[in-house]
Amino acid sequence: MAVEGDPRASAKKSLGDALDDLPIFNADNLQNNIKSIYYSRTFLSIIGGVIAGIWGFTGLTGFIFYFIVMAAASFSLAAKAKFSVHAYFDSWSRILLDGIFGGLMSFVLFWTFAYDIVHIF
Amino acid sequence: MAEDLVLDTAIRDWVLVPLSVVMVLIGVLRYFVSKLMRSHQAPDLKVVKEGSVSSSFTHHDHIPFSKLVLPLDVDLPSLDLFPRQVILRARNLRAAAGFIPAKSFRSRKTYFTNEENGLLHVPKGQAQNAQAQMFSDPNLAMDMMKKNLSMIIPQTLTFAWVNFFFSGFVAAKIPFPLTQRFRGMLQNGIDLSTVDVSYVSSRSWYFLNLFGLRGLFSLILGEENAMDDTQRMMQMSGFGFDPSRSLSAEKDGIDIIQHEWALPKMEKRAEDALKKLLK
Repeated sequence: MAVEGDPRASAKKSLGDALDDLPIFNADNLQNNIKSIYYSRTFLSIIGGVIAGIWGFTGLTGFIFYFIVMAAASFSLAAKAKFSVHAYFDSWSRILLDGIFGGLMSFVLFWTFAYDIVHIF
Repeated sequence: MAEDLVLDTAIRDWVLVPLSVVMVLIGVLRYFVSKLMRSHQAPDLKVVKEGSVSSSFTHHDHIPFSKLVLPLDVDLPSLDLFPRQVILRARNLRAAAGFIPAKSFRSRKTYFTNEENGLLHVPKGQAQNAQAQMFSDPNLAMDMMKKNLSMIIPQTLTFAWVNFFFSGFVAAKIPFPLTQRFRGMLQNGIDLSTVDVSYVSSRSWYFLNLFGLRGLFSLILGEENAMDDTQRMMQMSGFGFDPSRSLSAEKDGIDIIQHEWALPKMEKRAEDALKKLLK
């Protein structure tokens, strides 16, 4: 499998043959990919929090908005990896689920902040 | 839903924003201070050299046991470094087991796990000694102390400051409703029981900041040194038992592993890749 030169999603090599045995991971590249997912999610949760606050979401609507943003992020990350997730990560759960609950606290903080500044004060 | 309280703009100006700004600045300050204070422990040259007896592994497939040199009489200060190096080597062996032929893997495995003089086999008497020495080792204790203090002190100071200055009034409204149980936790300075639980005091704003700014710190401060205080404290507390337990854990790991040869088709793959390049 060819190694992509894209710096954003620098690929790791993995055995793609039909008869392959062990997938080989380039640890540095995998780490890099995971880090960029984490950064994207954190940034998106902060921005999403500010947006939710400005628009005045309250209660459950806000949380649903957060999960929609996270799902959109997962989808875009998968699309960026050309949907061949195993060329870039070791499992689906990385690209879909990793970091969702870590970003929740940042989302709530910025949501509260923006909501208060715009609507209450 | 209760009526909407109208809160003074001055609260926003003088409570919310300064508190967040102060916490961000303290986080940045702590990052730089820990970077300055980090004492770099260079591994002892003698220990690294003795540990590198395995560099000859790359040249031979089979090492007769008589050639193995085991540094059994290690001096005390490097006692904590030698197990660490051994553990690193054992982990590398486990991770890369598929890349070396079966015979050489077996010889390395016996080198590590052999009952009489394998590196990972710790006799019971020695195990207790290592633990006691770990705690009396001044360097390590100082490091642990420094890291713990640099985490705890700013948090304590900020919390005391918040309590002193910003107590007794409603600071913010959280956008989602919570049950009545949270009232005691979130509204500590406010003594009216009819106020909606969404209106919180500044102490809860402090905690919200504490957890929520972690993500922000990881973005602006680079890869690590995001404020993962609880993780680090757990790491530090488990450090004293490092040598004996993790040695036996590594030994078990190596014993368990099955050797799978990952490179049977390497030549074919190399041929395909080269053909593709030449096209």
